[in-house]
Amino acid sequence: MEILVGLVGGTSSTILFMVFENISSFRIVLYGLISFTGILVGLEIPLLMRILKDRFEFKELVSKIFTFDYIGALIASLVFPLLLIPYLGLIKTAYLFGMLNVLVALVACIMFKDEVKGVKYLKSAAIITLLGLLAGFIYSERITSLSESLTYSDPIIFSESTPYQRIIITKKGRDLRLFLNGNLQFSSVDEYRYHEALIHPVLQALPNAKHILVMGGGDGLAVREILKYPQIETVTLVDLDKEMTRLFRSNDMLVRLNKRSLLSPKVTVINADAFSWARAQQRTFDAIIIDFPDPSNYSVGKLYTNTFYGVVKHLLSPDGIMVVQSTSPFVAPKSYWTVDRTLQSVGFHTVPYHDYVPSFGEWGYIMAMRQSVYHVPDHYVAGLKFMSKPCLEQMLFFPKDMARIPAQVNRLDNQILVKYFEDEWSTVQ
Amino acid sequence: MSGQPFNKENIGRRSFLLRAGLVTAGIFFSGCLRRIGGRKSEYEHIQGNLRGPNAKAGHMLRDKMPLPLSSRQENVKTLIIGGGISGLSAARWLKKNGETDFKLIELEDHTGGNAYFGSNAVSKYPLGAHYITLINNEDQQLIDFLHETQVITHFDEQGLPFYNEYYLVFDPEERLLINGHWQSGVVPDFGVPDTERKQIERFFKLVTQYQNTKGSDGKYAFNIPIDESSADEQYRQLDNLSFTKFLHNHGFDSSYLLWYLDYCCKDDYGRHAKDVSAWAGMHYFCSRRGKAVNAEPNSAITWPEGNGWLMKQLRSTVSDHILTSHMACDIRLQSDGVEVKVYDHSTNNTYTCKAEQVILASPQFVNQKILNGIDRLGVDYSKMNYSPWLIANITVNNLPTSEKGMVLCWDNVAYGQPSVGYVNANQQDIKLIEEKKVITYYLPLCDKEPRLSRLAAYTRTYDQWLDIVIPEMEQMHPGITPHIDHIDLWLWGHGMIGPATGYVWGETRKQAKQPVGDRLYFAHTDLSGISLFEEAFHQGINAAQHIIDKKHAS
Ligand SMILES: Cc1cc2nc3c(=O)[nH]c(=O)nc-3n(C[C@H](O)[C@H](O)[C@H](O)COP(=O)(O)OP(=O)(O)OC[C@H]3O[C@@H](n4cnc5c(N)ncnc54)[C@H](O)[C@@H]3O)c2cc1C
Repeated sequence: MEILVGLVGGTSSTILFMVFENISSFRIVLYGLISFTGILVGLEIPLLMRILKDRFEFKELVSKIFTFDYIGALIASLVFPLLLIPYLGLIKTAYLFGMLNVLVALVACIMFKDEVKGVKYLKSAAIITLLGLLAGFIYSERITSLSESLTYSDPIIFSESTPYQRIIITKKGRDLRLFLNGNLQFSSVDEYRYHEALIHPVLQALPNAKHILVMGGGDGLAVREILKYPQIETVTLVDLDKEMTRLFRSNDMLVRLNKRSLLSPKVTVINADAFSWARAQQRTFDAIIIDFPDPSNYSVGKLYTNTFYGVVKHLLSPDGIMVVQSTSPFVAPKSYWTVDRTLQSVGFHTVPYHDYVPSFGEWGYIMAMRQSVYHVPDHYVAGLKFMSKPCLEQMLFFPKDMARIPAQVNRLDNQILVKYFEDEWSTVQ
Repeated sequence: MSGQPFNKENIGRRSFLLRAGLVTAGIFFSGCLRRIGGRKSEYEHIQGNLRGPNAKAGHMLRDKMPLPLSSRQENVKTLIIGGGISGLSAARWLKKNGETDFKLIELEDHTGGNAYFGSNAVSKYPLGAHYITLINNEDQQLIDFLHETQVITHFDEQGLPFYNEYYLVFDPEERLLINGHWQSGVVPDFGVPDTERKQIERFFKLVTQYQNTKGSDGKYAFNIPIDESSADEQYRQLDNLSFTKFLHNHGFDSSYLLWYLDYCCKDDYGRHAKDVSAWAGMHYFCSRRGKAVNAEPNSAITWPEGNGWLMKQLRSTVSDHILTSHMACDIRLQSDGVEVKVYDHSTNNTYTCKAEQVILASPQFVNQKILNGIDRLGVDYSKMNYSPWLIANITVNNLPTSEKGMVLCWDNVAYGQPSVGYVNANQQDIKLIEEKKVITYYLPLCDKEPRLSRLAAYTRTYDQWLDIVIPEMEQMHPGITPHIDHIDLWLWGHGMIGPATGYVWGETRKQAKQPVGDRLYFAHTDLSGISLFEEAFHQGINAAQHIIDKKHAS
C-alpha cells in the first residue's frame, strides 16, 4: 500500500507536467491522481489500525493515528512552501516524498515481518520502486526538458531562460523555429514572407532613407532585409534581451539565417527597454520598424498604447514611415483595428496591410506616417522571394472577413487591446 | 466626559486605563516571549526598520517639556505652522498673490505630513496619501494648479481637461482576492450569489441618485470641498446616523456589500463603517463627478511616491520660505500680534517669532496643546479622533505569479482581511519588466477605539508587526516570504481624522474653522472632517485668502 502511494505520489507531478499541454485531459488526470492518492491514504488508516490494534487500546489507537496524521500534515504544510518547493522544485519534491513513502513501507516490512504476508515480495517491490523514484529525483532536470520537448513538436536544439523570457529553438529538417515563452516567432521555412512584408513596403517607398530604427526584432531578420538597401547608413536595433541579440550574433546556424546582419558595421545593437529608451531620445529616423511580441500581457501592451506611439512619432523624421506588426486581422480583427485606431489617434495616417505566412496564418501590419498618401512602389530590390508590386497591391486589400471595424484607442490607463487579444486568441487555441 | 464618539457605551477613564493596561501588557509579554523564542527563522532574511513621525516632538508637545530659554526674536508678517499639504498650499497662495513676508515652519526634518514618502534603491514609495481622483470640473483653483504642474496637459474646445497619460493610473487598476480567486475590480463579484449582486446594484443606483442631486440652495448634496455641499437638512441629517445604521435602514444586508462598504470606510477614513457617519460614508461615493477627455470617471491619478509628488510641486514654489525641524511650541495672542515660541530640533535652540498673523496648518490635537490661554469657544477637542495606521513598504524580488485570475494590479485587496491591501508603487513605471518591486501595504488600526489602538501600536516591536503583515501577505501570495528582501514600516499614531457620527456638520467643526481675533487662521484637513488632498489644498487657500482680503481691506 505504502509503496503504491509512493509510486503514484512521486510520479504524479511528472505525469501532470507532461499532460499539461492537453488541457481537457489534464483535468481528468489531475483529479484522477488526487482521488487515487486520497483513496490509498484513506485506506491506510483502517489498515494501520488493524495492524496496531494488538499493540494499543482502541481509543488510544485512533487518537494516536489521527494525531500523527495531523502533525504530519501540519509539518508538511509548513515545510512544503517554505523549504522544499523553493529549493527542490515541484518535481523533485514529489519524488522525494514518494521515496519517503516507500521507505516507510520498507521499514514496516522489516519491523512487522511476522505480521505481513509475503514480506520478501513486498520488500523487493519497495526497493525497485525506490530505485525508480531515485532515478526520477536525480534526472528530474532531464524530465523537465523531456516534457518540454513533448510540448514542441520538433526536436529542441537550444533552450535558455533569460531574465526576460525562455528562448527555445527547434529544428526539424531545414525548418528552424524560434519560440519565446512558448510562442512561435518564426519558422525558417516561411519567415521571409513575414520579414519582407514588414520591411519592403516601407523602405521601397523611401529611396532616400539613411537611418533606420528597429524596435524588438532581436533575431536580426528584419535587419537582414533592411541591409539589402545600399543607401542605408545606420540601423539602430533596440531589443530588451541581451541574450537574444548575443545568440543571433554568435550561433552559426542563426547567423547564417540572418546573414550576419547583427554583425554589420552599420548596425548598432542597444539592449534597453524600448519605452524608456524612446522617451530619452532626441534624434530622428527615416523609418521605424516596430516588431514587438504580441500584446498578450499588460507589460508588452504598454508598447501598443497611444502614449508610446506619441513618443515614437517624435523620433520619426517628417517624411518618415513607421510600420508596426499588429497581430492577425483574421483571428483577432478587434485587436488589429485597435492598433490602427490607436496609431491614428496620435495624428498618424495609417496604411493597413496583411499577407499569409503559413506558420502564422493570415498576418497584419500597419504603416503609419504624417503625410496622407502612400504610393505603392513600382520597383523592388533584387533578391526578394515574396514581395512585388502586384503582391503589395493585393496585401492592401481587406476582404470582408477582415474588413475595418470601429475600434477604440488603446491607452496606458485602459489597455483594451490586451483584453481583446486574449479573448480573440483564446477562442482559436 | 461626554463619552467616546466611536462607542455606544460610555467608557470611563478608569475602564479605559484598565483596558489599555491589559492590551499593552499583552503585547509586551508576547514581545518578551518572542525574544526568548527568537525571530521566526523564515523572517530572518528580511531587513528593515520601524519609523514614524518625530517621536521626540510629540513627547515635547504632549508632556509640555520645559524648553531651552528663548535666545532671540524674529519678526515675520505671516507665520505658517505645519508643512503638510494644507500649509504648503497656504504658502503657495500667499506667494501667488504677491506676499513675500512669510515663513513656514515644519517640525519634521521634511515637509509633507501625511503625504510624505520614502525611497530605496528599487523605487520611491508612499508612506501615507498615495492618489487623487479626477477633479470635479468646477473646482477651478485645483484645476489651475494641476494645469500649472502638467497633471492636466491641455483642454478640449469644451474646456474638458486632458490628464497626463503618465499619471493616470496604468491598467490593470484593481483586483480582489475573493473565494480563492483574483477577480478584476474590488466590488465583490466572483462567487457572489445573485440576490446579493442585486443589492450591490441597488446600492450603486442609490449612489448615482445622490451623486447628481442638488439641494434647494443649488449645491450638490455631496461635494468636494466638503463645505461646497448643500446645506439642506435632508442631507445633513445623515451626519447624525452611523453609516451602518443607514445601510440597515435601507435594507442592505448582503455580507458582500457590507464588507465592501466597510472596506471603503477603512480605506478612506481609517475607520469601520459603524464608526463613521452616513453622510461621510456616502460622500466617498457621491462627491466625485470629475470628467476628462481621456479618462473614465473616477480614474485615479498617482505617482510612485504617491501624493508626495504633488507635495513637491506645491513646495517648489515656496521653498525659500520653509524652515524644517522647526516646531511651534507655544502661541500667545498679544495686542499687536502673535508671539510664537519656536524650537529648532537641529540646533536645540528656542526663539520667539513675532507675527502679525499665524496660519495654523497643524492638526487640532496639536493646536490644543500649543494655544496658550486662547479659548476656542464651542470646540470640543475630544470629538476629534485620528485614525492610527501602519504602512509597510515591502521590497520583493519576485511576486509569485501562479495565482488564479487577474494579474498584479495597482491596487490589490483581499476579501475579509484586516488590511486594505497593497498598492504597487511601481505601477507608473513604463519599463516592461522590473526584477524588484516595492509594494505598499496599508493597515488601518481600527478594531478598537483610536486611543487604544494607538497605544497598542506604540507598544509593538518591528518583529511583532512582521507577525501581522507577513501572514496576510502569505494569505494573498502563498510562498512570498522568501522573496521579501525588505520591509520598512511606518506607523502613523494620528493618521487622518475620522468623520465620526455628528462631526462633519456638528458644532465642533463649525467653531474650530473660525479664525481667532483676525490673528489666528486655521487650515488642516481635520477641519474638513474628511481627509483628502483636495480638502487640504482648499483649507490652505481659504486661510491665506483671509489674510490677502484683510490686507486689501485695510
Ligand atoms: C495612511 C494615510 C493614507 C492617506 N491616503 C490618502 C490618499 O490616498 N489620498 C488623499 O487625498 N488623502 C489621503 N490621506 C489623507 C491626507 O491626510 C491628506 O490628503 C493630506 O495630506 C493632509 O494634509 P494636511 O496638511 O491637512 O495635514 P498633515 O499632513 O497632518 O500636515 C500637518 C503638518 O503639520 C506639522 N506639524 C504638526 N505640529 C506642528 C508644530 N507644532 N510645529 C510645526 N509643524 C507641525 C506636521 O508635522 C505635518 O507635517 C491619507 C492619510 C493617511 C494617514
